[in-house]
Parts: sequence; C-alpha cells; structure tokens
Amino acid sequence: MARRYDSRTTIFSPEGRLYQIEYAMEAISHAGTVLGVLAKDGVVLAAEKKVTGKLLDLSSAKDGGYGGSGEKIYLLNSNVIGGVAGLTADANSLVNYARTAAQRHLLQYNEDIPVELLAQRLCDMKQGYTQFGGLRPFGVSLLYAGYDPHYQFQLYHSDPSGNYSGWKATCIGANNGTAQSLLKQEYKDDILVKDAIGLVLRTMSKTMDSTTLNSEKLEFAVLTLDPETKRPNAKIYRPAEIDALLLSEGLTKQDDDTEMKAT
Amino acid sequence: METSFAITGKGYVLMAADTTAARSIVKMKTDEDKIKTLSPHLLMAYSGEPGDTVQFAEYVERNIRLYQIRNVYALRPAAAASWIRRSLAESLRSRKPYSVNLLLGGYDTSSYNPQLFWIDYLGTMTEVPFAAHGYGAYFALSLLDRYHDPSASLEEGLDTLRRCIDEVSKRLVVTPGKYKVKIVDKDGVREIEL
Amino acid sequence: MNTFLERYSSTNAVSQLKRAQRLAEEEDEFTDSAWGSQAGYGQLMNGPPSFTVPNVPDPSSFLRLHTDDHADPNCRIKIQHGTTTLAFRFQGGVIVAVDSRATAGSYIASGTVKKVIEINPYLLGTMAGGAADCQYWETYLGMHCRLHELRNRERISVSAASKYLSNLVYSYKGMGLSMGTMICGWDKTGPAIFYVDSDGTRLKGDLFSVGSGSTFAYGVLDQGYRWDLTDAEAQELGRRSIYAAGHRDAFSGNTCNLYHVKENGWEFIANYDISKLHYDGPGDVAGSPGHGYGYGIRVQGRSSANPPEATAAA
Repeated sequence: MARRYDSRTTIFSPEGRLYQIEYAMEAISHAGTVLGVLAKDGVVLAAEKKVTGKLLDLSSAKDGGYGGSGEKIYLLNSNVIGGVAGLTADANSLVNYARTAAQRHLLQYNEDIPVELLAQRLCDMKQGYTQFGGLRPFGVSLLYAGYDPHYQFQLYHSDPSGNYSGWKATCIGANNGTAQSLLKQEYKDDILVKDAIGLVLRTMSKTMDSTTLNSEKLEFAVLTLDPETKRPNAKIYRPAEIDALLLSEGLTKQDDDTEMKAT
Repeated sequence: METSFAITGKGYVLMAADTTAARSIVKMKTDEDKIKTLSPHLLMAYSGEPGDTVQFAEYVERNIRLYQIRNVYALRPAAAASWIRRSLAESLRSRKPYSVNLLLGGYDTSSYNPQLFWIDYLGTMTEVPFAAHGYGAYFALSLLDRYHDPSASLEEGLDTLRRCIDEVSKRLVVTPGKYKVKIVDKDGVREIEL
Repeated sequence: MNTFLERYSSTNAVSQLKRAQRLAEEEDEFTDSAWGSQAGYGQLMNGPPSFTVPNVPDPSSFLRLHTDDHADPNCRIKIQHGTTTLAFRFQGGVIVAVDSRATAGSYIASGTVKKVIEINPYLLGTMAGGAADCQYWETYLGMHCRLHELRNRERISVSAASKYLSNLVYSYKGMGLSMGTMICGWDKTGPAIFYVDSDGTRLKGDLFSVGSGSTFAYGVLDQGYRWDLTDAEAQELGRRSIYAAGHRDAFSGNTCNLYHVKENGWEFIANYDISKLHYDGPGDVAGSPGHGYGYGIRVQGRSSANPPEATAAA
C-alpha cells in the first residue's frame, strides 16, 4: 500500500502520512549522534564523526579555519553554532543557506540574527521541500546552539519536516533515545557550562558505538559570553583541544581489552 | 518650517516635533501629530515632502509591527534604525524616492540604554546624543552642544527641550508654533505636556 | 506663487536635493568616500541656508513670466489658481461652500462651474486645481464607495474614502495630477472632513479652505467659526466667506454654491450670485444679515471723523 505514495513527497497516503518525510527522519536516526546541552552561562554541543580512517586528510582541521573538521559542527553566525545529523551533502547546502540568511539579517538590521529566527528561516525552506512539486526533503536534522539579547542562550532542534522546537538538552542521530533518557536523568536546571561539558561528554561516551572516545571520533563546541565585551564567543574545539579536554575530564575511553581487564 | 528635536537623558529619549501642516503660506492644520509610536519602546519623528512623510511612516510602522507579530518580541532600536535607513537608501535609488527626514528614539530593554538616531532622506544615519531636523537645527544644535547633559533627569531634560523651543521661537523668522512632546523610557511611550 | 513660497518651507525636499546636487558639482575637492554621507550633517556644511530669489531686477515679474501657463502651456512652473472652496465641521454637521468661476489665465472661461462633486448621498468632494482631475477621480472614488457598500453591507467611512483617494493620487505623484480637495460627509463617527491633495497629503480637521482665494476665505471663516454655531449661522458663515474670497480674489467669484451635510446625507441649500451678495445680501434666507455684504453698505452712515464736542454740537 505504502509503495504508491512513497515516490512523491507532496502526496499524502490514505492514512494521512508523508512517507518521504518519515524515511528522511529514519535516515537521520542512523547518522552520527549530535548532542546539545543548554547551561545557565552557555551552550555545549558535541557530535560523533562517522567518516574516519587513517588515510583521511585532517590537516585543515588541525590548524586551519575556525576549528572543527567540517563534518558535523559548523559556525553558522558569530552567535550560532550548528550541529548536523543526516546526509552530509544536504547539510552543506543548509549550512550555506543558514549563513546567507544570517548575513542577510546583519545587512538589513545591523545585528546578529536572533537564534529562533535563524531556525525559522531554515525551517521555512525545509517545509517548502515537503510540499512543492516532486522534490526530495532535506535529509538533515540540526541543533542550533545560540545566543541573542532577547532570550539569552538557546538550543533548538529542527527536523526534515520543518518542525523546530527549543530544548534544555537534546540529542539527534543514532541512539538519540538512549541519550535523551540519560540527559533527562542527569540534567539540572541551573547547570553551568563547566558541568555541562562533563555531562555532554559522559553521555556521548555512553551512546557512541565506538570503543574509543577521542578527537578522531568527536567534534565539540561551546558557546559562552565573553565576560569583557558581553558578546557571544563561539568556540569549536580543534582535535588537540578535544583530546586535552577528554583527558582532563578523565574520559579517554579505554580499549575493550583494557576495559575487560579492569573489570 | 518643520522642526523636530530629540535629546537623550538618563534612561529616556525625549522627542518634540512641531504640529503644523502647511501648504504654501497657509497652515492647513495646527495639531498634526508627526511622531509615530512604532513599537512599545520606539518613537519616530518624521518631516519632509508632504505625502511622502505619512506614506513612509505608515510603511515603516506596519513593517515593524509585522516583525513583532512574527517574532513575539519587537526589533531593538538599533536594528529598527538599520532597517529604516536601508529602506530609505533603497528608495533613494528608485524611480521615486521618499524625501523624508527622521529622528528615531528608542529604549533598548535588553541593554537598558536609550538610543537616538538621526536619519536624513539620503539614507545617512548616525547615532547621536541629541538631534534636530529642519531650520530649528541651526539654532538647537549649538544650544545643545552647550546645555545637553546625557545624565540629565527628566525635569532637566524637559528644561533643555524648552530652551530649544524658546530659542527657535525667538530667532526663526517663521516659527512653527505648537509642539508635541513624547518620551520613551523603560515604561514605554508617553506624551508629555510642556 | 506656490513655488516661490515653497522656498520658505523646509519641507521641500526637492529643493534640498537640488542643493545637494549643486554642492556635489561645485566642490570637486570632496573625496568619493565623503560623497553622499557629508559626515552625517548634510545641510550643515554651508552654514545657515538662505532664501534663494531669482537674480533679476524684478523677481516677481520674472516669476510671473515663468509661471503663466496660459500664455505658455509649456512653462516649467504651473500654478494652481482660480478657485475658492471651503468646508467646516460644526455641531449641526458640515457646511461646504464653493465659488463657481473657472479661469484660463486672465480669461473667465465659465461662471457656472459646479465645484462640489456629489460622490453619493452622504459624501461630497470639492474641486480645486485641475477640474478634470478632480471630477474624474472623485467620480471614480464614488464608484469604489458604492462597491464598498455592496461588499461590506455598510457605507464607507469618510476616513476610508479619503484614504482611498489619497493613496490613489499618491501613486500618481510627480506625474502631473493637480488636486486640492476636501472629502466631506457623515458616517458612524459623525460629521467628518478630510483634506486630500495631489502631493498625497491627507489631513483630518474641522475647518479647511483650498484654492487661490482660500486665504481670504480663512480670514472671515476663522474669525466667525465656533463649534456650537446654529445651522443658520453656519450657512451664513460659509456664504459670507466665499463672498469675501470672490470679492478679493480675481480668480474666484461669480456665484456661491452652498451645501449642508447632515446625519441623513447632504442637502443643497442654494446658489447665490456674489454681486448680489455684495449689494443686497443673500435675501430672505436663514442667517441673512438683511443687507449687502459689501464694506460700503455695511458701514454706511458711520464715520471716523472725530471733531471736538463743541464743533460736533454746532
């Protein structure tokens, strides 16, 4: 039955469902995990990298750009960091759109785009692809960690249907159910960034399939407020910084063998 | 002889605009309100080409309102000013530009700052502690250089505003007559009797 | 006359633009980066402004030469003349009074022009400026007022009707429309008058007068105006004011048409010959002073002579 209504995104099935949207969401739940926690004095974002390997050239991530290896976590604007889960190619297109939308707002209003407005801009586009002629929806969910003077720090999630919602802590991608129930247990309303970092990393280490937690498998970012200028400070960690952080948090995951030996 | 003034003080912006609508030598109306309330903490005084003024002011008013309806919160004064300036600058290069001069005063509720912007019909914008448009500017600016105090209480601010109005009444050949005075501060927008 | 007077008004942005252009041409030493911004205080660069007057021995005759559109239809400055219209709001409704003269230069083209346009039984529009423009667009406005009634099952408000007209003429701004009109009527809010002109100006008010004779009409109207005028007093004031303009303004005159808008629509009161008003007065009508409006007639028998009492007694 479903088959007849599968091929077009813009056609409802008799049960009132849009299969292509549901398939897109399904695709995302297999993608690398992205996890965000909203703290009192900032927002923390972490992501699991799927594309790894000894032969991958990561030299640009080590010292080029603004940090990050450019697979999962992106700087969307000086006040918003985005974490993506899903088709990387689609994500690139959305990131580009988000950056353009943020710049357009800057041009028009001479201020950083409010975080929710940026999420809305992307969702307007995502929604359009669920409705207009013969197009495939974006196979991407995003987390937006941002700051604006209206609502201070914020964390939003948007999915392929064009829905978006604000969260204190949330997770997209593989094992997001597990991660979310862990977060629900451990989240405290007045958590600070330094504790949120620990919470994010611990949750990540528990949900990731991989055996080791290190910079090769992880992207990490924190958005805080500069105490001097009171302007948002988006920091996307470089591989070396991630390893240092994991070490200081005591979370450098051991190999299976050593783990077994320990127990 | 349209004239408008605005001054900032401790936590407020005061704005005054004359109330005459003139056509050639005739005053068609003497109680016209030329200061629009754009949002709960934003005022705009407009002057310039008859027709253009009201059309442009209403265009701005409705767009600012639309933003507020869409986003729950209103644009902050600096963002609104940038948008308005841009609208004017784009209009300047169109077939029929709006010839409107503006003073935009607002209170930024997130940074607790009163802000004042001077904008002319060419799309020039500057943030200033005090501002004036029209012939009154030729008298008021020097006066305000001498008497303006950014930390003045409301009473002191009103006194300074009175000085401006009195000076213009005293020296300008054709005086604008009555003024309407409005204030914007943390409590929003109010009209004030001088 | 208008253009000359506009120099005295800071509202004229066109002249400011001209000034800015002149500046840009004269002052070549300005860098490109300063162009357009003029450091944020464009008009302050050259000190206080002065009123520009044509550099000729007799500016007013020069102006006349270049503003006489009868002698030269292609003259650059066209002047609106040849009308007096007025309307005012009072306790008993709205009084609308107009003259009936149409001039083409110094020639009186007609003395029986209808300058009140009956838009519908509740709305009147007055005509000043281009007769065709006013007649056409106010009739067109009447059509839309009727459509509004059909679509919304209620009469259009005076405010809405006037805004429709003002938006309409504003969209033609700079393309040669010439109108100065008052939209008068009675709606849910009571009596209302809106002044609308081809600049796009739209003003709500109690009392307006438009046209070349408007200043003369204002002189009488302002002095005699009160909100609580009786119907008779108000009609007399409208009549007397149009007479004043018809008498003093060469481009206004012939006759006066008087309308009174009440709750149930407008009513045409009468047409008065202005010469007759001068010599005999309006005749046996409400509010009539019982004699001519002319100064000589009004002060007949009075004298300013002030002889010492002894001489006077003798």
